[in-house]
Formats: sequence, C-alpha cells, structure tokens
Amino acid sequence: MKKLLLFLALSTALHAAPEPVRFDFQSIQVPPNIDPQVGGVAVLPDGKVVTVFHRGEVMIYDPAAKTWSRFAEGLHEPLGILVESPSSFLIMQRPELTRVKDTNGDGVADEYETVFDDFGISGNYHEFAFGPVKDKDGSLYIALNLASQFAGVRPEIRGTFTDIGELDRKGMTQDKEWSKRSEKAGRMYSRVNWRGWVLKLSPDGKQMEPFASGFRSPDGIGFDADGNLLVTDNEGDWRGTSPLYIAKAGGFYGNPASLVWRKGWDKGDPLKVPLEELQKMRTMETGRFPQGFLANSPTEPAIFPKSWGPYAGQVVLGEMNQNRMVRYLPDDVAGFRQSTLIPMFDDTELGSGNHRVAFGPDGAMWVGKTHLSWAGAEGLVKVTPKDAEKIFTVVSCHVVKAAKGQEMHIRVSQPIGAQLPKIAVERYDYLYHRDYGSDQVGKAEVPVGNAIVSADGLEITLPMEMKEGFIHQVDLTPLVSKTGSPLEGKLLYYQATKLP
Amino acid sequence: MKLKLLLLSFLLALPAHSARGDTPGQNFLIQCSACHAVDHKLVGPSLVEISGIYGKDPDGFLRWCMKPGKKRPDTIEMPSMAHVGEPALKEIYGYILSAAAGKTEQAVADNSAALENNRRPRVQRIFMPDASPAAIAVALPGDLSFCFDAGDCRLRYVWKGGFIDALDHYKGNGNALAKLKGDVLYREGEFPLSGGSTVSSTPKFLGYSMSEGIPIFRYLRDGVEYSEKITPLPDGSGIQREFTTKGSTALILKPAGKGAVAAASTGEGPIQTNSFTLTYRWK
Repeated sequence: MKKLLLFLALSTALHAAPEPVRFDFQSIQVPPNIDPQVGGVAVLPDGKVVTVFHRGEVMIYDPAAKTWSRFAEGLHEPLGILVESPSSFLIMQRPELTRVKDTNGDGVADEYETVFDDFGISGNYHEFAFGPVKDKDGSLYIALNLASQFAGVRPEIRGTFTDIGELDRKGMTQDKEWSKRSEKAGRMYSRVNWRGWVLKLSPDGKQMEPFASGFRSPDGIGFDADGNLLVTDNEGDWRGTSPLYIAKAGGFYGNPASLVWRKGWDKGDPLKVPLEELQKMRTMETGRFPQGFLANSPTEPAIFPKSWGPYAGQVVLGEMNQNRMVRYLPDDVAGFRQSTLIPMFDDTELGSGNHRVAFGPDGAMWVGKTHLSWAGAEGLVKVTPKDAEKIFTVVSCHVVKAAKGQEMHIRVSQPIGAQLPKIAVERYDYLYHRDYGSDQVGKAEVPVGNAIVSADGLEITLPMEMKEGFIHQVDLTPLVSKTGSPLEGKLLYYQATKLP
Repeated sequence: MKLKLLLLSFLLALPAHSARGDTPGQNFLIQCSACHAVDHKLVGPSLVEISGIYGKDPDGFLRWCMKPGKKRPDTIEMPSMAHVGEPALKEIYGYILSAAAGKTEQAVADNSAALENNRRPRVQRIFMPDASPAAIAVALPGDLSFCFDAGDCRLRYVWKGGFIDALDHYKGNGNALAKLKGDVLYREGEFPLSGGSTVSSTPKFLGYSMSEGIPIFRYLRDGVEYSEKITPLPDGSGIQREFTTKGSTALILKPAGKGAVAAASTGEGPIQTNSFTLTYRWK
C-alpha cells in the first residue's frame, strides 16, 4: 500500500500543470449482435457514418437519430471503404475489391460486384488487404499484406504461386509439422502474386499497374494534402520500427519478400539478397514511429478539415497500441519529403485501437477501433475539437542549413511565453535488417545552441548539428503559451532522412 | 480494497506522453499495458499468470522479453521488448510481481460466440475447408448450405444441417477455417458444364446480386458468361441450379458428382438455350 501511495504522490506531481480540455470524445453505442471491431469508416455527405465490421457487416450510423441500419453483410474481413455515392461503396475485403451497391433504393445492398481480384491469396491468415484510396485522377490504390511465418499456405490457393524460395509448394503447405520448417519460409513471405505490393488500378478497376513494392503490413494508405500517397507499415522484419513512406511508382520500400513479383526479377530468393544491395534499392522512410514510445502499429492517414483550426490541412494517423493518434508534418529537404511525427490526443479518453479515421461534413472525426487479437480496442468514437483556434500546438517543423550544422524551425499556433525553457533533443536510429525490429542505436543527446524565438512569438529556432538518417526527438514538454497553456503534442520525432 | 481499486484506476489513467516512463509503473503502462492486465487475460497473459511463470526466474523473464516468440496457439506472438532495455525491464519485472501479489486470475467473459448469426438465407465469405481461400458459404432456406468457390468459379459442395461455426476464424484472424455444422451430401469435382466455346481461359468471378437473400453468382468460364442461382428443391430431395448464359453455343451436362443425379430442364442432349435449370437429386 505504501508503494501505491508513493506512486500516487509521484503521479500527482506529474499532473501539476493540468491539460486543458481541447477535444470532446463521444463513444457511439455499437449495434447489437455485432462484433464491434471496425475495418473501415467513411462519412456520407449527409453526415451518416458507414462502418465496416470484422465479420463482414456494413452498417450505417445516423448520428442525428442515433440509429444503425444494416446495408450489407457477408464480406470477408473488410479493411477499407471508399464512398462512390450514398448507395455505392468500394470495399476491400480479403479476396477482392468489391462494389457493394443498393440498386433498388431500399437502403440495402443487392449487388456485390467484383471490381478487382487479380491477386493471390494463399489462405495464410496474415494476407490482409487494405484500401482503396482514390487519387485526383480517379485511379485507385490497394495494399496487400505479406503472409506470416506463423502459418503456411493452404492446399488450394487463388492466384499464382512462385517457386522462388527455400521451401517448395509442398513444403510451404500448412500441416502438423509446419512449425519445424517455418523458419525457412522467411519471417514474412510473398509466395502468391502481389503480396507486399501497393497496386494501382484504373478508375474502373479493369487495368492494374504494380505500383510499389517492399511492404510488410501496410494497414494505412491515404493521401496528404499535396497528393502524396502515404503508406504506413508495421515494425517487424526489415522494419526496425514502424515506418511511414511516400509511395511512388516503381519504388521499393524495404521488405524484400515482395521483390519476387517485380518484372524481370532475376536475383533468386529476395530474402537472400545482400543487405547492402537492398539498402541501395530501397527508398528511405519519410517518418518513423519509435516502437513502444510513439506508436507500435500505425494505421490510416486522413486530412484534418478547416474546423480543426491549427491542424487544418495536416495529416493525422491512427495507432493501435498506444492511447493516442499521431500527426504528420512534412519537410522537404534536398528534394526528399521527410517529416516530423507528433503524438496527438495524449492524456485524453481516446483510448487505443485507433484503426480507421474519417471526417464528416461538419468536421467531426470518426475513429473506428479494432484489435484483431492484437493490442487495441473496439467500437466507434466521434471526436470534435473545442475552441480549435485556441489550441497551442506545433504547426510546422523545418530544417535548414546553418553556418554550423542545421537549424530546426518550429512554428507554433499561439505565441509562446516570455521565457523559452530549455529544450532537450536526443537522436537515435533503428537498424535496417532481417531481424524483427531493432534496438535504438547510436543514441546521443544533441547539444542545442542558442535557441531563438521570433518577434511574434510563433517560431522557435533551434541550432544543432543533426545526424543524417537519425530520428531527432525534441522534447517540448516545458513549453507553454503566453496565456499559460501547455503544448498539445509535446514530443517531435523528426526523421532526418536527408540533411540540408 | 476500494482504495486500492481507486489507486489502480488512477495509475491506469496516468499520462503516456513521456517517451520513457519515470517509474516502473509508468513504463509498464507505456510498454506493456496494451496487452497485459493485472488479473485477466487481455491479449497476452495476466500479471498474475506471468508472476506464476517467472516469479522465481527473473533471468527467464528477461530472456523472454528480449527475445520472445509464439508460445500459445490461441495468442499472438509477443513482440520483442529489447527497446525498453534490461535495466527498465528488471524494474518492470519488480512492478509485475508487486502488482500481482495477492491477486487471483479472473475469468474473462467471452460473448463472441453469442454473435453467431443463424439467420437463413445468408451469404458469408470466409475461409472454408476443401475450397480456395476465395470461398463463399451460403445458407439456403431450410437445412441445406453450400460452398461456392469464387476462385475456380464453381459449386464445391452442399451440406445438410446447421450453417458454419466461424468463431475460431474470427478470433484467430482467419488462421482457422470455418467448420461445417452439418454433413456434406454432395461434392462436385469439376464445373458441371462443358463446351460452348473454343476459348479457354482462367475462370473469372464477376460478383453476385441478391434476390430475397439468395445470391445469383456471375462468372466467366472459357468465353461464356454464366449466372447461377442455387436453391433447394421444395421437397428437400436436392437442389436446383438456374443458369443463364451469354456467348455459349451448345453446352454438355456432365454426370453429377458422387451422391447425386443431375438432369437438365432441356432434356437429354446438348443445351442450346441460354436459360436453363439443372436439377440435382440426392441418391
């Protein structure tokens, strides 16, 4: 008991500067007899929320009447939805991209049209399918998971099986002895077509372009305000910690398993390609989420609408494990778009499991939660900002070259107080290697020179010598606004893939 | 006891904004609490259970945290906690033992079985036995169900009884196949019709429309576009399959698989019409 009291005392000390209530969280009553794990959320023009559930139901929530209606059912682990019209949705389920449509106006889908299914499914449980998202030209993008070593493939598959790999088809097939040889499959594997790829589809879904490879578990796909295709991935093999990428045509994003499907691939088992070669081939991360600290399983990106004040136009990303979401602030350096990742909604009642994100016409953010037997939560939460314009937070972070080293220019939404507190910066890296995850390496404090605040109090300049490739973690916990408000989002994780 | 509970809920409400917790309790919250609760299974085992395993084996605890794996068939593999570092893990170990002291394991109510949907007719795409992973299970009115394979675009089998038990599939992220709640009456080893076109191609699934809860499948095989609706025969003696075709000339009905006798609505000989019904009666 004494120990507990001691904790209480310490915790109270930590709560000395109370956080203002900046957001309202409303947990929505889920429909009865539904497993309320959410795979997709979209908002219709009239504000109704289309929610796609774990066991295949598509339900529509009316926030005004607080009622649910069943639009469709029977889908196989749907994990993404795109609204075409209030009566027609594109939904990505395990086996295919499907147009689910109500053609007779009774509010219930009667048409399940296969839009695209020209990819492999081996029956391995880890072969999830994500998307679709649509670019400004109407092209669609979907993302396909790799299979996991914790199971083999099924005797029957759909699609094309590749013989490239240490185990042959029989050896890859699940049986009672699987665990004795599973190591040979690779931690994650791509033995059927397009696993580990982002595929680009023509607007009608009839043409497919293998767009980008090297993904592992890309459970977050979406665009930033400039039209860059953001893809999150999960810590694991060849992911020292969870990364954020900007996917471009022809790019390779690090996990080699998918390379076997690259046109003209002639290097044999991609898992055996030397690390240095993969290193040369890969596009580096735009951002990295330190595992266990910022995020363990980042998910869908979405753009804040105008009503979100200082956040408007920025990207927010979901996160499964930690009780938060993450914000992304881009910085273009030497022609490469890298970013600062910032925790969001810390110390609130948001909770974990934040899987899918969509904004309504009124600006409300709808967060769908899931866990799928991993860490997370369930249900649907509506988040609205309170006095958004008054929120004190970081709105941009840019690095420029200085006479010695670099300067980090951090802009905030409200003038900061007269006294600039000491700002601590540390840097570290994560290894790119075959092993699962990575320790933080090369960790060091980064000495900060004379910090300067702009005359309007809205920009801090931190001179420092940064290290290329490293995450630079800037601790702004002591920062307060002129009016005494603590900062929303206290840590900046700047990914210095390039240095000016 | 009440005070303890209050304190515990207070601890659980601690902020997670620090990159690193200042105390073992905070570190536990940041690094472990998403998957481990004090006295009940969450994603991984409870602190009570962990204390039972490692209470006298701090080195074993450290080894597991640094390099864990998959130990339990019904639980996901634990990710490595190497990033936390040995000193902090040792402190977390101490925290786990103290938090679990005097507690007992509480059973977790699992209502997921109650969510089984027994409504008929019904369509559910799911991993099924003896089919490709693009399988579709259909519960017909009455007591017949069938598995249609959207990979190979054909009926695979029909069973009698209940529909499917999919709980393990849903709880294990698809790592288990759905189980049939009944006995298979009929299996079909190949598509029942041949001919019609000289074009040979991989079958292509086009989707299905719903007609009063019954799916009408559409697919392309060898240059012919088919639609197929499978319903039970009113007297329970089998199924009927209503076909329409586009692009076919003459189709030949193959003998039914073991356990049934097939007949075409057009009688003996090649099927020349683009709308016909095949009837399968159980032997």
